[in-house]
Amino acid sequence: MATTTRDIGPLYNLRRFLGRSLPYVLLIISILPIVIGYAWLIIATFSYRTEGLFPIDANGNIGGWTLRNWAFLRDPKIWHVTLNSLGIALGMVVGVGFVSSLAAYALSRMNFAGRKAFLSLTLILHAFPSVTLLIAIFFVLNFISGIPVLGPRFGYNTVGGVALVMVSLELPLGVWLMKGFFDNISWDMERAALIDGASRFRVWWEIILPQIKPGLAALAIFNFLSGWSAFLIPFTFTVGTKVANLPVYLRQLISDTAPTNWNQIAAVGLFQLIPVMIFFIFTQEMLLNIYSGGAKGGV
Amino acid sequence: MAETIAGDEAVAGQGQISRWAQIRATLGAWGFMSPAAVLVTVFFFIPVIILFVISLTDLSSSNFSDPLTFIGLDNYAKLFRDRFFPKILGNTIRYVVLTLGFFNVGLALVLALLTTHINRRAGFFFRLVWLLPRITPSVVYVLMWRRIAHQPPFGILNQLLAPFGVAPRYWLVKQPWLFVILVNGFVGASFGMIIFTSAIEAIPRDYIIAAKVDGASTWQIIRDITLPMIKWPLLFVTTYQTLSLLTSFQYILLLTEGGPGLYTTEVWALTAYKRALKTYFGHNQWGYGAAWGFILVIIGIALSVIYLRVFRFNELVQEPKIDVL
Amino acid sequence: MRVKLENLTKRWGNVVGADHINLEVGDGEFVAFLGPSGCGKTTTLLMIAGIYKPTEGIIKFDGQIVNHLAPKDRNIGMVFQSYALYPHMTVFQNISYPLKLKKVPKEEMQKHAQRVADMMGIGHLMDRKPAQLSGGQQQRVALGRALVKEPDLLLFDEPLSNLDARLRLTMRSEIKRLQMELGITSIYVTHDQVEAMTMANRIAVMKDGRLQAYATPDELYDRPRTLFIAGFVGNPPMNFLEVEVVRENGDYHARREGFDVVVPADRGVKAAGQGTIIMGIRPEDITLGDEGIVGEVYVVEPLGRDDLVDVRIGKADIHVLADPEKGLKVGDMVRLNFDTHKIQFFDPQTEQSLLWTD
Repeated sequence: MATTTRDIGPLYNLRRFLGRSLPYVLLIISILPIVIGYAWLIIATFSYRTEGLFPIDANGNIGGWTLRNWAFLRDPKIWHVTLNSLGIALGMVVGVGFVSSLAAYALSRMNFAGRKAFLSLTLILHAFPSVTLLIAIFFVLNFISGIPVLGPRFGYNTVGGVALVMVSLELPLGVWLMKGFFDNISWDMERAALIDGASRFRVWWEIILPQIKPGLAALAIFNFLSGWSAFLIPFTFTVGTKVANLPVYLRQLISDTAPTNWNQIAAVGLFQLIPVMIFFIFTQEMLLNIYSGGAKGGV
Repeated sequence: MAETIAGDEAVAGQGQISRWAQIRATLGAWGFMSPAAVLVTVFFFIPVIILFVISLTDLSSSNFSDPLTFIGLDNYAKLFRDRFFPKILGNTIRYVVLTLGFFNVGLALVLALLTTHINRRAGFFFRLVWLLPRITPSVVYVLMWRRIAHQPPFGILNQLLAPFGVAPRYWLVKQPWLFVILVNGFVGASFGMIIFTSAIEAIPRDYIIAAKVDGASTWQIIRDITLPMIKWPLLFVTTYQTLSLLTSFQYILLLTEGGPGLYTTEVWALTAYKRALKTYFGHNQWGYGAAWGFILVIIGIALSVIYLRVFRFNELVQEPKIDVL
Repeated sequence: MRVKLENLTKRWGNVVGADHINLEVGDGEFVAFLGPSGCGKTTTLLMIAGIYKPTEGIIKFDGQIVNHLAPKDRNIGMVFQSYALYPHMTVFQNISYPLKLKKVPKEEMQKHAQRVADMMGIGHLMDRKPAQLSGGQQQRVALGRALVKEPDLLLFDEPLSNLDARLRLTMRSEIKRLQMELGITSIYVTHDQVEAMTMANRIAVMKDGRLQAYATPDELYDRPRTLFIAGFVGNPPMNFLEVEVVRENGDYHARREGFDVVVPADRGVKAAGQGTIIMGIRPEDITLGDEGIVGEVYVVEPLGRDDLVDVRIGKADIHVLADPEKGLKVGDMVRLNFDTHKIQFFDPQTEQSLLWTD
């Protein structure tokens, strides 16, 4: 047998090392803008002003750390706005969770006239860009405003109205995701419960929902984050600061105050980011899955 | 076989009972469906109709309280005759094609390939960081970018490029398109990245091992095995993101509001939105804006129906294995 | 309770799950539905349970039509292959769930559930979750849950398939004993013929949605009415040979190339003069001896207690059970004796038995 050793000289090792590290170099370069953006946000929050990434004190020198940007926390308005944000977020969690798990259960587990049609519809709506309907939804909300009892709660320029629109537009995704979870539950378990004497509603509530708690939690986190961060819909369907949520309030700060106090804005921005970061750190894997889950048709 | 029922009284009576049971089952199921059905009707179906009807009128904030005046397709005619129509159409195409090509598909694929060819935990970390733009509230996210592209002495990009002798400038104003695409692309890339990653990880290891045994280099494996095997996810992300880019305007609204100057970065969806809902002068031309919007709705419906067919999502649907309610 | 199925049919579009099934289960009887997977046995069971709605036909409990009754109104208990225990509930909650749904007072519920659990030998596991139990224990919980509401009819859907072989044996006799003690009418779906043969009073053999035979185990074994039954029941399966039966000098001969056996007159008369027909004979009804038909050993498969020997006679293969002591080897020449009182004959076209007809 011929023994020809392959070239494993220093040049080969160098090429190997470069080949190994190249992906890391490229990836690190790719995330630079993200890292820099976050870095600036945090630095700016605690300084008088910034030039580039450097904090600058009153004399134009590097330095000058301060907490004064956080003074907004003493303003009751911020807490009012935070509460609105929280309301929208929780409205999303409860609304989408409840409505879509009801509908998805029927679509996944029941035989009824219209099932196929509604399923196709859900899929079409899932791909359909709902933002194109904002103009028309403006009129729907105005109409709801005119209805007694409902109007003041779910009409134009109300937190309830914003939450209702957000819940509705999120439903195709929610229903599709939940249906994926229901599809994986054993049929025998449901049959057993029916034979044991449970109604379909009890089966749903007592037997099936407890099985998909992880899925419900994932959907809840996803909806909390999108409700908490919502900008376009609250911005479009609210006026003034009474019903603004945090993103809309921040937007008003940016465009209203002239000259813009960037450092205070950064602080409000960071304040808004805190819950997002908490979820981000503790539920990373779940988030990575769910942000693609809806599109793959099941999780 | 159908005629076997005839003449048999007991069976005929049975048929009636099961028809009733069928109706009862359907009613019960729609009990579960009703909240979703109502919301979908009120916030999807009715709006599509409203949008179309309004696009046929001259409704605006100046005649809001008057009865509707139908002007036929005038709004659509006006739209195509608009002085800025070619500019907006060009912007839209530029926005979709560049963001899609460089980021939502291009970079997404590169990121998926890079993060799947390095240490698993490191790959997971980089994907996670790339998810940050998507989950950061849009207002805060755009705030960061505006600061990066700010004028001297505040802009971060100027500071970073100074050592390379690049003259400082107000990047956002001088290069608005660069940043419109960057801002959207950094959010958009993660969708494709995640989908491509799971598609790549789903490729059976045997193929890769077999190719390695055959002496293929990493690049050859990617070209000859990985890419052909993620053909469908590639097509899916491309089509799906085309539609979402075509109709999205949130980040442009926050970053440049279509400026600087007249219609520099204004895209179709933003035009519709601004005409109808957020004008500088408080004059909302609902009818005219609705015409812009309705054209997007038609494209949206057409494309979503096509996806449904092409990707055969219907085949994922299984039949219920319980008949009763 | 008596169960009667009349022309019971289930179709999904063009797919036929069960095709005009007619059978009756007597009060207290233990009936097995036996057949390969996809034969419609579970479909039929689920129609009896009320989970599936029949496309056609009638289900009667004690003479009353129950087609329109919901599963919960049929007073049945069911045990599933996957156990179908509720994983988020404890053993106690699992067993008492049917009582809770019936709004049985708490104390009574507790007492009753405990009694059933003790009967099943799982009384000490009441606070565990199903995931903390072994397969056998889970199956006992499932059985307890089915029994707790004192059903009129017990349905079993391959309840032992997920257990290991030894446990399956124990549970088999335990279920049988329990059913006899309680006297509850039972229907037991299985693809395992040993289970069906050992447990059931009567066996309904199904294939492609149709009822092939409905008879006692002995009758199925000794007097199969169709070729399918003959081949399906019994392990190792029956041998089939194409033969012609002719009458010569008052004797009936079943013949083919290199093969000639005299069959008893009562059987031979029904097979004679029909041209080429199919003869069936079980491996255990063939013995090796010093006389008889000559064949060559082709394959020897040791089964432990016996060797299963594949013997070639002309172009035909015949399986024979042989004593391992004999030490048969491939290529050996052997002589086969047929227990001619066990020979079966079938029409090759209709696949019906020529011996056992109505």
